[in-house]
Amino acid sequence: MTPANRLRALFLTPAAAVMLATLGVPLAIVATYSFLSRGAYGGVEIPWTQENYTRLLDPLYGGIFLRSAWISLLATVGCLVLAFPLALFIARSGARKNLYLALVILPFWTSFLIRLYAWMFLLRDTGLINTALEALGVIHAPLPMLYNEGAVLLGLIYGYLPFAVLPLYATLERQDPALLDAAADLGATPVHALFRITIPLSMPGIWAAAILVFVPCVGTYIVSDLLGGSKTVLIGNLVQNQFTSSRDWPFGAAASLVLIGAAIGMLLLMRKSREELL
Amino acid sequence: MNRRRFLESSAAAATLALVDCTSGPRLNVYNWSDYVAPDTVANFEHETGLRVRYGTYESNQEMLAQVLSGNSGWDVIFPSADFLGPMRDLGLLAPIQHSLLTNLNSLDPVFRAPPWDPELQWSVPYMYGATGILYQKQLMPAPQSWADLWNAKLAGKITMLDDATEVFGACLKKLGYSLNSADTAELRAAAQEARKQKPLLRAYLNAEVRDQAVAGDVAAAQAWAVTAAQAIAAAPDRLAFAYPREGFVRFADNIAILRESRRIEAAHRWIDYLLRPAVAAAIVETTHTATCNGTAYSLLPESIRKDPVLYPPADVLNRGEWLLPQSTGSQRLRDRLWTEMKSA
Repeated sequence: MTPANRLRALFLTPAAAVMLATLGVPLAIVATYSFLSRGAYGGVEIPWTQENYTRLLDPLYGGIFLRSAWISLLATVGCLVLAFPLALFIARSGARKNLYLALVILPFWTSFLIRLYAWMFLLRDTGLINTALEALGVIHAPLPMLYNEGAVLLGLIYGYLPFAVLPLYATLERQDPALLDAAADLGATPVHALFRITIPLSMPGIWAAAILVFVPCVGTYIVSDLLGGSKTVLIGNLVQNQFTSSRDWPFGAAASLVLIGAAIGMLLLMRKSREELL
Repeated sequence: MNRRRFLESSAAAATLALVDCTSGPRLNVYNWSDYVAPDTVANFEHETGLRVRYGTYESNQEMLAQVLSGNSGWDVIFPSADFLGPMRDLGLLAPIQHSLLTNLNSLDPVFRAPPWDPELQWSVPYMYGATGILYQKQLMPAPQSWADLWNAKLAGKITMLDDATEVFGACLKKLGYSLNSADTAELRAAAQEARKQKPLLRAYLNAEVRDQAVAGDVAAAQAWAVTAAQAIAAAPDRLAFAYPREGFVRFADNIAILRESRRIEAAHRWIDYLLRPAVAAAIVETTHTATCNGTAYSLLPESIRKDPVLYPPADVLNRGEWLLPQSTGSQRLRDRLWTEMKSA
């Protein structure tokens, strides 16, 4: 090793050690648990088995995976549609950029849980929106806005919107404005330029945003619990239940590993299709 | 079961005494949140000179996950009755030494020989509770049975607890079975009832139902008596509580000592202190719970003693059924039926 390389290794070691200790080791434990048997009252026991994985082949669990993927896909599309114009606006707002970016990140200063409770206050039958609409005479009975799939979708889009805005902003901000001038000189209308220049050049950012929204959405359980009234089961709920009320840790470990595997597979697939597109 | 996630732990936070661990012997107590008065721990420390590290949990599972290792650092815990047998079988509990307890006779006679531990070998009953129906008084007729929660006229205004044991318990009782049933056919029939009820439900809510009942969003809800008592205290002229005709879940939380404890004597002093009627009564007055301590009960003001939600008459309570531990097979079937019902 050259001295420079040795120095680099020296500085990289702490980060690698932290990753190994906080990601690698727990994952290895989860993987080990997933091949053990359920302890009668929680925990795991010998013998080794792959039954936890064969159980997942049941159509019941396949349906849960599909529903989670579907609602996450909807949330991802929703986030992209909302985030793109916003990111474009911020990228082109000159000196105010930093202020707007700070505003996008500001909600993170409050716990997601508390922000979901705030949404519940807005959406409830006796909540702010229904009360206001009734007072104005627009409606006579409260609109059922809370505890349905729409509320879950709203919560997911709301929660993960900043994750879509930031990568989109990063790509849009780097685009050379001269390209748009050139397009205009060549006769492209602004709409033309948007679809022919800006959006194609933003594809890396769009993919990054899609991944950053989709992956956490698939694993979430708190949104469907709080805004969906626990009326549906997503993978996140399934895993959580195994570690709490059902006390079937090995099955929960297997389900979460399959979830991680599916997410990684999706990432690879997305990267491949992105390479083909570009 | 996370029936007490809701007891927002302001009091718990205040009592979570992170004490200086360098001086004096220290007792480690792990309890449900909101299960002692704000000054209970401090008074004990002052009186005995012992230091207490006091932590709180929100579900039996959370507690069990910690103490399962046998090296958790806790001395005293408060498991529910259906968790005692399993914990004893796993060798996690130390026997209770009656010779070290002077206040055992203050327990209500029912709890001096409870079905889950008739000789109090492993536990001392602490608090009890039950599940019933919290409803708006304007409902006519008032719900009196679980079957009333299948009323299509209330569609969108009913909630059930988000807990398989409780929901299937209500369904089993509605069908006339034991809520501890491990019979496949009975459980399937119960799950079918739950599935029929689901389209009528607003949501599956545990503690959150309290605020929504007070606000008027919910007309009738399966609720824990403690939650209901809090909701009724907030809106006494609009809300009421019924113990269903068909029967209902009863549970009890008990004090136990962990086998890993090296402070057995101090642990008994703590238990004896909690059994002291004045101490137990002070706890009930601030936490609005139902104590297993008969003498403490008699010290309470009449408004609490006569509270039909927390302290219903014996003939009502006798309709209830104690929760028992489920076998692995039954637990797994219940979990599957629950997941199926939720995904339907």
